[in-house]
Amino acid sequence: MKKILELTVGWLYPDLMSTYGDRGNVIVLSKRSEWRSIPLSVIPISFETSRKDLLSCNLVLGGGAQDREQELVANDLRLNKGKTLKEMFTRGIPGLFVCGSPQLLGKYYMTGDGKKLLGLGIFQFVTKHFGHDKPRCIGNTAGKVVGIPLSEIGKRETIVGFENHGGRTYLGQNDKPFAQVLKGYGNNGEDGYEGAVYKNVIACYYHGPFLSKNPHIADWLLTKALEIKYGKIQTLTPLNDRLEWKAHMLMLSRLEAYKDI
Amino acid sequence: MVLHLLTTYFSLALIFFGKLTIQLLTIFGIGAGGTWPGEIALRGNPHILSFFLRRVRSGIVLVAGTNGKTTTSKLIQRIVAESNRGNTDRMTIVHNETGANLMNGLISAFIREWRIQKPYDFAVLEVDEASLPHVVAEMQAYKGKVVLVLLNLFRDQLDRYGEVRMIARIWKESIKKLPSQTVFVVNADDPELVDVTHGKKNKYFGIKDPSSYLKKGEHATDSTYCPFCGQKLTYEGIYSSHLGIWRCQKCGNTRPKLTLSAYPSVLPGLYNRYNTLAAVLTAQILGINKNQIKNALENFSPAFGRGEGLIVEGKRVKIFLAKNPAGFNATVRTVLELGAKNIVFLLNDRVPDGRDVSWIWDVDFEMIPDAVMCIASGDRAYDLGLRIKYTHKSRSGISNLKIFETTKEAIVFGLKQMKQHETLYIVPTYSAMLEARKILTGQAIL
Repeated sequence: MKKILELTVGWLYPDLMSTYGDRGNVIVLSKRSEWRSIPLSVIPISFETSRKDLLSCNLVLGGGAQDREQELVANDLRLNKGKTLKEMFTRGIPGLFVCGSPQLLGKYYMTGDGKKLLGLGIFQFVTKHFGHDKPRCIGNTAGKVVGIPLSEIGKRETIVGFENHGGRTYLGQNDKPFAQVLKGYGNNGEDGYEGAVYKNVIACYYHGPFLSKNPHIADWLLTKALEIKYGKIQTLTPLNDRLEWKAHMLMLSRLEAYKDI
Repeated sequence: MVLHLLTTYFSLALIFFGKLTIQLLTIFGIGAGGTWPGEIALRGNPHILSFFLRRVRSGIVLVAGTNGKTTTSKLIQRIVAESNRGNTDRMTIVHNETGANLMNGLISAFIREWRIQKPYDFAVLEVDEASLPHVVAEMQAYKGKVVLVLLNLFRDQLDRYGEVRMIARIWKESIKKLPSQTVFVVNADDPELVDVTHGKKNKYFGIKDPSSYLKKGEHATDSTYCPFCGQKLTYEGIYSSHLGIWRCQKCGNTRPKLTLSAYPSVLPGLYNRYNTLAAVLTAQILGINKNQIKNALENFSPAFGRGEGLIVEGKRVKIFLAKNPAGFNATVRTVLELGAKNIVFLLNDRVPDGRDVSWIWDVDFEMIPDAVMCIASGDRAYDLGLRIKYTHKSRSGISNLKIFETTKEAIVFGLKQMKQHETLYIVPTYSAMLEARKILTGQAIL
């Protein structure tokens, strides 16, 4: 008998960390799962969420926060959720952290006002904001995935999206970059890297609806979540992604990033 | 003294040059000179706005907020004009009616209305969120009546404006510079604005209507935390996004008492209820009588692209500008209430629209019933199409989504789709609105 599959996604602090379209990733994952008849439930992770509930998540998502919220979240995350999340991610539970949330996973984040927020230490990277008068890294962006085996993402190696961040992130020695920047700023506008990958956790500066134009990454996250939960290699039913790839390719050609591929 | 005279002559030269620019732009059909004359004058004299403001005899009304500026300022302009009806001496009201609301747009409006030897009577100006501090700084010496209307504050173009709270912080600081006679007309349903204007000479408007409470909160919500103490706010009811009957359980701050809470709305939709209230309250503060207000509103036609109706090839078309999640949700709700069967959504990502289109994922497209045809186009037609695709319940989708790479194709398809008695609704971002109007009317506006 075919096993009935289902997934639970934990969405970190949706009312504090959902600044600009971050819900997009949640919607894309939910739909792509449901369209394959795999019911997916989303549970909001808040200050009150218990360790037990957090452990019930097969995938964890984080988005961007405004400055004040970022501080509230950073504290709760580090003091009350950090240990559990680290255990989960080390076990291979996949995660996607976009917009400002990667800043919370590194060693620390130095805010624009010079305040040092300690991170979870899942990654070794540090993030520094050099002041509100410094230009932000804003614009459409494209990258070439280097942190995930290409065979696991259908040999489609590009990603596209939008970035808007004041902080600059510098990878530590053991951090594996997620992508090489084809167009845009990436982590810091200097070293040509975008984001980082730890086991099955992706952290990157792309904005919330990142997965909408990158269905290969969405399916990779779902596949990993199912694998960790059900313990065997899962193949997802293919979907008609004509529209997704059309939007993806159009952005690549608009950025003239395709020449670099 | 000599310096003063020199500055005055220099300003006059800039005005003359600006007027010439307007003439040339109009003659050659490039546009109506909404920003260029002002831009040139501004480069010649960065403080030219205060030169103009000093010449406004009776009063200045500034309208600020994320959504509703153009409609509200047009309403106020019409009421002020009506209050002068019957007088032989025409009143000069400076008004940036095309929605050009940066410094250069405001100055262009002053140049357009400039008459030698004749001061201005009134200025009714909508002001961009980020430009408000600069405009306020030019007003310090002003002696006439001043009303600052604050409509709402929503997340809008984070790449351009930054976070809502940052705008609020900047406003709070900058409005301290307004002359002491300034009256603040404030939307009491928006907690952030109540904090911004705390301790000022305030008149509040808001809605008292439990039947308009949303059944379910919208996703795109800012300021649900108390701006005074940071506690999560409780709401007796929410009208849209974070607008509603709010209260803080911790510090006790609550929606203030309203001066005006009901007036027949001139246009459909929740925002226009707020816009009407704001305009009427402003008119009352300016001392304009009831009948004049009523007459002006009875004959009101919407500002371009803001619920504006057009007849194209015998078919009815209505354009509702929508440029951020809160406004978009309210607009979609309005056109659905009006019985829309075909909606053309146009998403551009040029500078006036905001380069980042991520916000469409904060819009609740899920509220659109399957029977309504969604036609997506604009620079980011596929992003919009994807957003709508991800509202579908089954992977095979439904046939209520059509995507066109050009705005023209989308509009033509929309017009073909509709039956005789129906209306085609167009919901565009700012630059897409100008484009759609140009296609529909064959004429440029800006």
